[in-house]
Formats: sequence, structure tokens, C-alpha cells
Amino acid sequence: MRWLRFAIGLLVALTLHSLLDSFYPNALAFFNPYVILVVYYSMGGNILGAIVAGVLAGFVQDAFSNAMFGLHAFSLTVCAYVVAYINSRLSLRGTLAFGACLGGAVIVNELVIYVLVNILVKQRIEMFEQALLVKTIFTLLFGMLVYQLLRMFLREEPIEATRRPTAW
Amino acid sequence: MAVPTDVIPRRPTLLFIVVLSLLFVLMSFSHQTRYLGETRTMFERTVMTIFSPVPKLVNWVGGSAQDMHHGYLDMRAAVRENVDLRRKVASLTTENLKLRQSEGDLKRLRSLLAYSEQFDMQTSMAQTIMLDTAGRFKSIIIDRGAADGVQVNDVVANANGLIGRVVLTTNDLAKVQLLTDNNSSVGTLIERTRRQGVVRGNGGTGVHLFDIPALSDVQVGDRVLTAGIDGVYPRGIPVGIVTRSEPGQSLFKTVAVKPLVDLGTIEEVIVIHTRKIPESVVRYTP
Repeated sequence: MRWLRFAIGLLVALTLHSLLDSFYPNALAFFNPYVILVVYYSMGGNILGAIVAGVLAGFVQDAFSNAMFGLHAFSLTVCAYVVAYINSRLSLRGTLAFGACLGGAVIVNELVIYVLVNILVKQRIEMFEQALLVKTIFTLLFGMLVYQLLRMFLREEPIEATRRPTAW
Repeated sequence: MAVPTDVIPRRPTLLFIVVLSLLFVLMSFSHQTRYLGETRTMFERTVMTIFSPVPKLVNWVGGSAQDMHHGYLDMRAAVRENVDLRRKVASLTTENLKLRQSEGDLKRLRSLLAYSEQFDMQTSMAQTIMLDTAGRFKSIIIDRGAADGVQVNDVVANANGLIGRVVLTTNDLAKVQLLTDNNSSVGTLIERTRRQGVVRGNGGTGVHLFDIPALSDVQVGDRVLTAGIDGVYPRGIPVGIVTRSEPGQSLFKTVAVKPLVDLGTIEEVIVIHTRKIPESVVRYTP
């Protein structure tokens, strides 16, 4: 069931990605739907599941963006691992906790990409700080809205629905 | 063999490190192939192929929605344009009717003016304000009277031909006896043969030509003009066309003439101020 939810979430994220690409080509520079999906999934505290989710979401994002293949998979896997690791030890619940994790994940994701691009391509990302700030704010706002909507309509704590013991 | 519980949490971390290493290798490989000219690795292409229906569907839905939106906007614009055009058509039709009316007036007045210039006598233009062709006395009333120089026995015509003569004047109006009136008589001649006769109204819509000898040559279609011999009508004004010519029971022919002027549609007329023959000359007998 949780993987079905993840698959649906991935399709929704890809749909959003395609939609924004088609009608507002620069919108994805300020907003990342894949991070929301991965953080939502990783907040269950299942590290292995989070890693798989990060890799899959990253591959899909890589396939439909012009970046090096694996770049987003790498950064999202890092985010997923960190969020899942924290949640396996601390029981974070509620919208604010989700927001904090999401904000941190966006920053980590962008920093990882920044470092990897610097190492592999030896290129500086222009206006990185501004882009990071805007992306964090918009992704955070949208992610918290989605989180609230899911809580309202699914009538259950999404984290509980995906939670698994840390020992697998 | 039971696995120690403190070991289990370490496994995902190990897996994490392995996955990151593999991803780093994949990234490097991908970067290298791009550098060599290959744009996509096989793995990348596979992922794209699996998920490609999603962007295709989004594009199709987006494109269709956009088309529908544009179609709707175009339709709204077309409806608005249609309403505007209908209004414009109505306005232009009205304008066109007015212009046609003006053009018709202009043509009529021009021909009337040109016709009036044929006479060396003084003429003036008048407008018909009342038409009485239903009663026994066929007449019209025009908007010019004695104050405008209109006198009894002035001849009234239009560009088509003779209408009648003035029989009564007031200061600003005049009554005109029509050609078709029972009491009207006009000295005329056949244009082709110059045979003279008298045209009298029959009280209906036509006139008859009298005093044409039975042996005279009168044919259907002959034009009848005023002869200028009756002391009222000047010579040469078209009166009508012969429509019937039969040998009568007496010495004269029965000739029916259709007036050239449609007396039911008279609007502007020319009043020809003819020279009057003094009564003393008319009544003089040697």
C-alpha cells in the first residue's frame, strides 16, 4: 500500500514537473516536487525504504531534466537517508515537524547538487544563494499545503501509514 | 542464528553508502558519455521510456485544454464581432437607404432641371403635397402659389411628360387639373405623322385622342406631344403613347393613349409659366 502511494506520488510529481515544464519553463528552478515526495515518504523512519524512494524519485527527475543522470538521485537519496535517520530516532509529527524536515531537505538537496556540480563539472551555479532561498520557501509552502490536504483527506497521519520499525 | 539487534540499524547505512557510491559512478559515467557526444545512457533512456507516457499525457491534456480555451475565446470574440457586425450592417443599411433615397431624389431633380431648361419660358419647381386621383376630379395640389408667380393655366409637367394645368391658385398653393380628368383637353399631335387631335381625359387612368380622321395613319406605339395650338400648353411636351387605334363608328378613329407620366407617383414637378393669350384676342371675331 505504501509503495502504491509512493508510485502515485511519483506520478503526481512527474505530472507537476511536466506541467510546469510545458507552461512555466523556469518554474522548476524555484520549486521541487520530488523533495516533498521523498521527505513525506522518509518521515516514516524506514531508512531502507527511504533510500529506495530517493533513488527512484531521483532517477525520474534526472530522466526528465537535462542534468547528469544520477545527480538528483544522489542528492535525493542523501535527503531521504537524513530525514529517515532522524525520524527513526525522534518521533517527529505534525505539520511543523514536516515543514522543518522539508526545509532542511531542500537545503541539503541543493547543497549536495552544488558540491557535485563543482566536483564533476567544475562549474559554479549562478545565483545559488538566491535560488536556494526562493526554492526553500516555495517548496516549503507547497509541501506543507500538500501535507495538510493529505491529512484532511486521508484522515490519518501519513507518517504512521508508512512507518516501519527501524530494524528490518 | 539470531542477528544481534545493535547490528541491524547499521545495515541501511552500509546500503546507503553503497548506493551513493554506485550513483556517483553512474553520474561520472553519464558525465563522461555526454562529454563523448552521447546524450543519454541506456539506463537513462530506459527510465525515460517507462515514464514517458506521463509527460505525453500532460502535454496532450495541456494542449487540448489550451485549444479548448483558445477555441472558447475565439468563439466569444466571434460572437462579439458578430453582434458588432450586425449593428454595423443595420447602421449601414439605414445609411444606404438614405443615400439611395438621396440618389433617387438627385437623379429626379437633375432630370427635372434639365427638362425645365428646354423651355425658354420661365419655370419653377414645386412639390406635390396632395394627390387626388380617386375622385371624379383628378387633381393634385402643389406647394407653390400666386406668391411664387404661379397663375391659372400654367402648365405642370415633370421629366417624363405632361401632368396637367393649374386651375386654381391661392397665395402659396395651387390646384392642378390632371391630364386624365374628365374635363381636361389638350391640343396634341402624333409625333411621327404630325396629325393633330385633342386628348381628353377619360376620368380613369388613361386618355383618348379625339378628332383623328378614320383614314389617318396612327399606329400603336406612336408618341403623342402637345401641339401648342390650344393657347394653354406649349408645343412639344410628351403626353403619351398610343396603345390602341381602331376605326370608329363615325368618321374618326378611336385612339387610346397611355400617359407617359405615372400620375400616382408624382413628387416634384415643373411649373411652366406660359405666356397667356389676352382674353380680347381670344374673343375677337372679325
